[in-house]
Amino acid sequence: MLKILPTRSDEPIFWLMFGTGGMIAAWVLPAILVVMIVAGICPPGIDSGLLSFAQAKAILGNWFLALVLFGIVFILCMYALHRMYHSLHDLNLHSKIFWYICYGGAAALSFITLGLQLMIYCKLF
Amino acid sequence: MAQATSFRKPYHREVTATWWTKNPFYVHYMLREGTAVLALFATLEIILGVFLFAMCNLNAVAAGTVDETTTAAYMWWATDFLGNPVVIALNIVTLGAQLFHMVTWFNLMPKAVRVFLNKNSTERLPDIATKLALYAAALGGFIVVLGAAWLTK
Repeated sequence: MLKILPTRSDEPIFWLMFGTGGMIAAWVLPAILVVMIVAGICPPGIDSGLLSFAQAKAILGNWFLALVLFGIVFILCMYALHRMYHSLHDLNLHSKIFWYICYGGAAALSFITLGLQLMIYCKLF
Repeated sequence: MAQATSFRKPYHREVTATWWTKNPFYVHYMLREGTAVLALFATLEIILGVFLFAMCNLNAVAAGTVDETTTAAYMWWATDFLGNPVVIALNIVTLGAQLFHMVTWFNLMPKAVRVFLNKNSTERLPDIATKLALYAAALGGFIVVLGAAWLTK
């Protein structure tokens, strides 16, 4: 006799991250994009200008700002890849392999970023 | 007991990958979901920036030598990559897509967040109040990020 155990879905965890990421994409991402566009139009120097080396060093060298940056990268990866994973069904692509690609990719990308940030922080200070 | 066999042949209507192009409502839906691809693009740009910062000669930077050679990797990202006309154009498209995402996201939020005004009736907070609060927070986020970026540049 096949025993069917009640199982709880893991979807709420991913949905929570998707919801948070959607909010961050609406609240913070437009401003970040404006900063990157302006930095592209007026190229920064090493010491001055938007996104100059000195400014990037100040952001990545501050543990709080570095954690905020990691949080933004992590939640945006989770949000974007969750939404893309569910949109794949609309494009007739139904396979469990995409689950691993999307959430695995999001986890890998964000934790590689955290590792790089940790390396930068340890080397600079 | 014999195994029950179903002779039922259910009809599955064929779904093509382009089903959504035939109705403007579904085109709007797919565009809305598609903004996530551009959000991922923006995130990858940030990750590339962090990666190239890590590729700079940080030991020399920590020792006090901040010049063109020790910061070359990050400076390529900040000037050549972000300054590339294709990247600027993609960033502007991404900005437009994120603003579209913001509007559609805030439009659906009152359907997800149902705030009841009291225990005795089903009277709910008007949709416009939820939306205005979200737009105010978006404006706040915009001012904080841009203000911090400009004041420390």
